[in-house]
Amino acid sequence: MSFGSGQGVKCYHSEHLYGEFWHRAFTVSPDTPMCEYLVSFGANVEASGGVCGVKRHADARKRGMKRVQIEPHLSVTGACSAEWVPIKPKTDAAFMFAMIHVCLHEQPRTRLDLPFLKHRTSSPYLVGPNGFFLRDPGNGKPLVIDTRTDRAVPFDTAGIDPAIEGSFVADGVEVGPDNERMSHRGARAAPSFGLLVDHVKDYAPEWAGAICDVDPSIIRRIANEFLDHARVGETIEIDGEVLPLRPVAISLGKTVNNGWGGYECCWARTLLACLVGALEVPGGTLGTTVRLNRPADNRWSSVVPGADGFMEYPMNPTGKDEWLSRPSVRSAHRTLVPLVANSAWSQALGPTHLAWMMQNEEFEKFPPASPPDVWFVYRTNPAISFWDTESVGAAIARFPFTVCFAYTHDETNHVADVLLPDCTDLEGLQLLRIGGTKYVEQFWDYQGFALRDPAVPPQGEAKDFTWIATELAKRTGLLESYNAGINRGAAGVRLSGANYDFSLDPAKTHDVEMIWDAICRAASAELTDGAESQGLAYYREHGLRVKPFPRLQWYLYPKLVEAGLRFELPYQERLFRIGQELGRRLHEEGIHWWDRQLEEYEPLPKWRNLTAIWENALANHYDVRIGDYPFWLITARSMQYSWGGNVSIQLIREVAGNVAGHGSVVMNPAAAERLGIADGELVEVSSPLNHTKGRAMLSSGIRPDTLLMIGQFDQWATPFAKEFNAPSMNALTPMLLELTDATGSSADLVKVKVARLERAA
Amino acid sequence: MTRWTMVADLERCVGCQTCTAACRHANATSPAIQWRKVLDVESGVYPNVSRTFVPVGCQHCADPPCMHVCPTTATRQRADGIVTIDYDICIGCAYCEVACPYQARFLEHAQHFAYGGTALPNEVERADDARLGVAQKCTFCSDRIDFGIENGLTPGIDPDATPACVNACIADALHFGDIDDPNSNVSRLLRQQRSFRMHEELGTDPGFRYVYGQANGSDRGDAGEIAPTEQAGGLRAKGIEPAQQSHWDWKAAANFICGGMGAGLLAFAAGASIQQAAAFPIGWAALAIIAVGLFFVWLKIGRPWRFIYVLRQPQRSWMSREAWIAGVLFPITAYAIWSQAPIWMIAAAIVGLLFLFSQAMILREAKGIPAWRTRSIVPLILLTGLAEGGGLFLIAAGLLAPLMTIVPAASVAVVIFSALRSWRWRSYLNALAAEGAPTRTLAVLASYRPWFFAFGLALPVLLILFAVVVASDAPLLLAAAGSSVAASGGLLKFILVTRAGFNQGFALAHTPVRGAGAAGPAVKPGWGPAVRQTAKSGAWFGFLTKDKAAVRH
Repeated sequence: MSFGSGQGVKCYHSEHLYGEFWHRAFTVSPDTPMCEYLVSFGANVEASGGVCGVKRHADARKRGMKRVQIEPHLSVTGACSAEWVPIKPKTDAAFMFAMIHVCLHEQPRTRLDLPFLKHRTSSPYLVGPNGFFLRDPGNGKPLVIDTRTDRAVPFDTAGIDPAIEGSFVADGVEVGPDNERMSHRGARAAPSFGLLVDHVKDYAPEWAGAICDVDPSIIRRIANEFLDHARVGETIEIDGEVLPLRPVAISLGKTVNNGWGGYECCWARTLLACLVGALEVPGGTLGTTVRLNRPADNRWSSVVPGADGFMEYPMNPTGKDEWLSRPSVRSAHRTLVPLVANSAWSQALGPTHLAWMMQNEEFEKFPPASPPDVWFVYRTNPAISFWDTESVGAAIARFPFTVCFAYTHDETNHVADVLLPDCTDLEGLQLLRIGGTKYVEQFWDYQGFALRDPAVPPQGEAKDFTWIATELAKRTGLLESYNAGINRGAAGVRLSGANYDFSLDPAKTHDVEMIWDAICRAASAELTDGAESQGLAYYREHGLRVKPFPRLQWYLYPKLVEAGLRFELPYQERLFRIGQELGRRLHEEGIHWWDRQLEEYEPLPKWRNLTAIWENALANHYDVRIGDYPFWLITARSMQYSWGGNVSIQLIREVAGNVAGHGSVVMNPAAAERLGIADGELVEVSSPLNHTKGRAMLSSGIRPDTLLMIGQFDQWATPFAKEFNAPSMNALTPMLLELTDATGSSADLVKVKVARLERAA
Repeated sequence: MTRWTMVADLERCVGCQTCTAACRHANATSPAIQWRKVLDVESGVYPNVSRTFVPVGCQHCADPPCMHVCPTTATRQRADGIVTIDYDICIGCAYCEVACPYQARFLEHAQHFAYGGTALPNEVERADDARLGVAQKCTFCSDRIDFGIENGLTPGIDPDATPACVNACIADALHFGDIDDPNSNVSRLLRQQRSFRMHEELGTDPGFRYVYGQANGSDRGDAGEIAPTEQAGGLRAKGIEPAQQSHWDWKAAANFICGGMGAGLLAFAAGASIQQAAAFPIGWAALAIIAVGLFFVWLKIGRPWRFIYVLRQPQRSWMSREAWIAGVLFPITAYAIWSQAPIWMIAAAIVGLLFLFSQAMILREAKGIPAWRTRSIVPLILLTGLAEGGGLFLIAAGLLAPLMTIVPAASVAVVIFSALRSWRWRSYLNALAAEGAPTRTLAVLASYRPWFFAFGLALPVLLILFAVVVASDAPLLLAAAGSSVAASGGLLKFILVTRAGFNQGFALAHTPVRGAGAAGPAVKPGWGPAVRQTAKSGAWFGFLTKDKAAVRH
C-alpha cells in the first residue's frame, strides 16, 4: 500500500488529514442542498462530484445559489458558476487570508458568529509567551478570561462569557514538546482569536491582489458577499432540533489543498466557516466521511472527547519513547506524518511518493528501501497515474514479482509475472453500502445496500474477484483466515450481530454466490436489527434496500454541543507542539532532510511565497534557469474519463471529445500569439524533468501564464488509449522532497515551456 | 392537438454528455453519429469569458425545411410534430442535410464500428443496414413515445415513454412533454422560465427550447436579434461556428455547373436555330452536358438504385421538380432536334430554363446554408447559366462554320449576359453582407471577386471586342472568350457549393444565468463582415482552399 497510484497529488490529501482532524471530514463538502453562497477554489465538483454532485448543484443554481469559481482556467465547474475569477496558480491561500482580513479588520465583530467562536472554537484560549496555551497549573486545562469577572478560568467553567480579544496578565503553565512545562506568574497572554486578528493584519486584499493577480476589489467583494450570505444569528429546525443556519461554504480543489499551501488553504477555509459559525451546520461546510478516526461507518460515533475540550485524534505518536524511528512501511507515514494516523487508510495516504523515490535514492539515516518481494496491484495503473511516471515505470520494471488483477492490459501490468483476469463491474457480483454520509456530496436521507449484479457473463477468461480471492486463499492455505475476515466484515458487512449470525464456515470453500448470499442476509439483518434476513435473491429482485438516515447526522455541530466539545481552531497549539516533538525525534536520529516540512507546524499559518518554492526547487534540483519555463502547467479532472480506468472505451473518448480541452494543450491565445502558436498546432511542452506533445487548443478561458492538460494519458500499452497521442502532465511533474509538504503531499503543478513543433495541417 | 417538445435548461446543463452516450446506446448509432450531443460554447475575451453547454439535435421544427425539400417524401411530419424519416424511401440525396440549419442530419455509407473493422457482438446484433446511404437523425425516441401512449403512459413523465436522453440526464436539464397542453411539465416549466429557440429568425418554428433563467430575472445584452460575436481566429469555436458543408461535394457542384451550362447552351441554340438550322445539333451537346451533371448526382446519392423515388414529391421539392423537368427536357429537346422546328427548340429552351430555375431554387431552399438560401441566388444562377451557355455557344460557333453568321449577335448576347451576371454577382454579395453570412463565406467569395470580374467579364469582353471589331470574328478569340465566361461561371458554382457553402453554425440568443446574476449576451461565433486576412481564405487563391473544419456526416 505504500506505493501510491496517484495519492498525494491526485487526491485531496491535505483536506483528508486536516479535515479529519478539525471536523471529521476526510472529505469536505458544502451543504449543497441548503447552501446559498459558495466560494470554490478550483474544486471541479461538476466533473468530480458524481451524479449526485451534478444534480445537487444544478438544483442549487435553480434555487439561486451563487457559486464563485476561483481557478486559473475556466473549468466545467467554472463554466456553470455565476462568476469566474482567474487566479494565479497556488496563490489561493493569499486570497483566503485576505478574506479573513476583511472579516476581521474591515467589518464589525457583530458580522461574526461570536457565540460560536466563544463556545465552539478555541478562540478564547489564552496563549502564553512561548506560543502554547496558558493552562491551569492544577488541572492543565487551557485558560480563558471570563469578562464577567476579568479572571482567568479553565475554558469549561460554567456560566462564563470568555474574552476572545485583548491582552491579559495571568498565571499559568504552558506545556511544550515532550511535556515540558513552562510556569508563568503574571505572564502576558492573549486569546487565540486576538492573535489571529494580529496575524492577518497585513493580509489586506491589496496585498493579496498583487500575489493572486486579482483585482483587490473582487477579493473584498467576495469576502463581504460571504458575510452577507452567512445569515449570522438565524436558525433552522432539523429533525426537531434547532441548529444555526449558515448557508455559506468554501470548497477547495485538489491542487489547491495539496502540497505546500495546502495547510494554509485548509486552515483558512475551515476558519472562515468558523468566523460565521458555518462549520458543520445547515448550509455550511461539512465533512462527509471518516477514514482515519474510528469507527469509520458513522461520523458521530467518531466524536470522542479528547484533551482541551477538543475531539480526540489518533495522531501517530511523537513522544520520546513512542515515536517509530524505523519506518515499518516504505511510505514511513507513522514516522514522518503524525496527522495521517494509522488506520487501514493511513498507509495509502503516504507520503506514497517517498516509497517510489526510495526505489531510486537513499534518504540519509533512513533504512534503505528494498523492492517488494511480491507486489500486488489491484486495478490500478501507477505507471500512468502517478507523477514522474518515467521513474515509477522504471521502478516497477525492477520489481522481482508482480501480481496484477486486471481487466485490460495496461502500462503497469505489462510487466506482471501473474495476471489475474478480473471481471469488469458489469460482470462481477458485489453488495455495496450506500447512503448515509460518504465522500464529497454524498450525504443522504437513507442508508443501506445496493447489489451490483452481473449484467453480462464474464468475457474471455475473466473471473469474479470473489472467486479469484477465494482460490488464492485456498491455494495459499489461508482459507480459514480468509473466511474469518469475511465474517468480520472484510466484504463490507459483518456477518454476525447481536441477534443474527450468518457467518461462513471458516473451514470450507464457499462459492461466489454463497458468500454474497450470506453478506446479503447479514445486510438485511443489520438494517432491521436482525428482524429480517433476505438474501441474494431479494436484492436481485429489488436491487437495493435502505432505511432512513437522520438528516441531523449530516452535521457534526449537534454532536459537539452534546459532548460539550469545540472545533480545534483557529490556533493550532497541538500541531505546533507535535511539530517540535517530531523535529526533536528526527534530529536525534540525525535526520535533517525533513526540516523544511517541520516549518509547516505553525500555530497560525503565515503566507509563504509558494511560487518561489516551486521555482527554486525546480531550478536548484535540475540546474535550469527557471525563467526559461514561463508557464504553470496544471491539470483538471475529466468527468467522462473519471480516473482514467475507462480509456479503452471508444464511446467515452467520443463523447469526451465534445468537451473542449480533452487531448489538447489548452493555452491562452495571447500567450500563443507571442510564441507564434496557432490553434491545432503540434507543440512540445517541457518541464525541467521531461516533455510531452500535444495539439494546442486556444481558449480565452485560461490565464496567459498557465497551460492545461486534462486527464491522464501517455498510455503506450493500454489498448485503444495507446493510439490517442494525447499529452499528459504526469510525466512532467517531479517527485521532489522540496515540493513535499508536512502532510506528505505535493501538487499537480510544474513550470514548463512550450514550443511549436509543426504548423497546423 | 399534441406537439412534443424538448426543453434544455442551460442553467442546469454541465455538458457531461450522458445524453449523448444514452442516445448512442438507445439508438445504436455508429461511432461519431450523435443524434444528440452537447456543444461546449466559449464566448468573450479573457478574463470576461463564459462557457455554455448546449444540447443540440433535430429540433423537430413545425415548419421543417428538411421535409419541404425532400424529393421522395421520406421525411415527413407526424401529427404530434415529430419529424420522421422513412429509410425505405430515402435516396440519400442529402438535400435535407443542407436544408437543416441545425446540423441534425447524418448520412453514412458503410457500417462503422467502435474499434475499426471488427464489430463487437452488440454491434453485430444492432447494426441496421436500412440506415446506410440514407438520412438519419433524432427521432425524439418516437418508438418509446408510441409504446408509452399505447400503454397509458405519459411521455416526459414516465421513463418508458420518454426519450432516452431525457431519462439519462443527470442534471435534470432535459425535459420533454406536450407544449400544446398548458398543464404539461414543459408548459409549466416554460411559464416559470425564460427561454429562446435557436435560429428563431429562420422561421422554422423549432420544437426545442432553451431555458436560460427565471421568468422574473434580468438580462445582460439584447434580447432581440443576435449580433455576431467576434471570436479571435476561430477560437474555441470549432463545431460551433459555421463550417463548410460536406454533404454536397464536387459531384453535386458538377450538376449545377452542367445544368447551367447545358440549359444556357440550349437557350442559345434555340435562338440560333431561328436563323440557322446548323444550331439544332447543339441541342444534343446541351443535353449531354445536362446528363453528365445528373449522372454525377446519381453517383453522389446514397441509394442510387432508388433514384426514381426522386419523382415522388413535385408538389413541394424543387429537387423533385428538377427531375420532372429533366424528364420533359430530354424528349422535347430530342423532338425539337429531330423535327428541326425552331418553335420546338424554343419550347425546349424554355423547359431548359425551367430546369435551370429549379436548380436555382434548390439552392434557395437549402435553409441550412446562408450563402445559398438568399433570394438573390436565383437571378445569379439563372444569369450565370445563360452566360456560360453563351460562352459555350461561342466555342461551338468556332467549330460549326455556318454558325459564324450569328456570332455577332451571340457575342452581344454573351456580353450582355456576362454584364448582367456581374451585376447580379455584386447584388448577391451585397445581399449576403446585408442579410448576414458566415465570415468565412464572405471571405471566400470576396477572394473570388476580382478573379470573377477579370475572367468573367473584363477579359471576355475585351476578347470579343477584339475578335468582332479587329480580327473579324476570329474563332479562337471567341472560343477563348467563351471559355473564360463559361469557366468563370462554372468555378463560381463550384466555389459556392464546395468552398463557400458554410452552414448556419450554432448560436445562442442568451447565455444562461448561473444561479445568480443576469443572463448573458447572445453568442453567434463565426458571423460578421468579410475578413480577407482570415487564415484559410486570405491568400490569392483563398477561394480554392478547402475548409478543414468541414463537418463530418
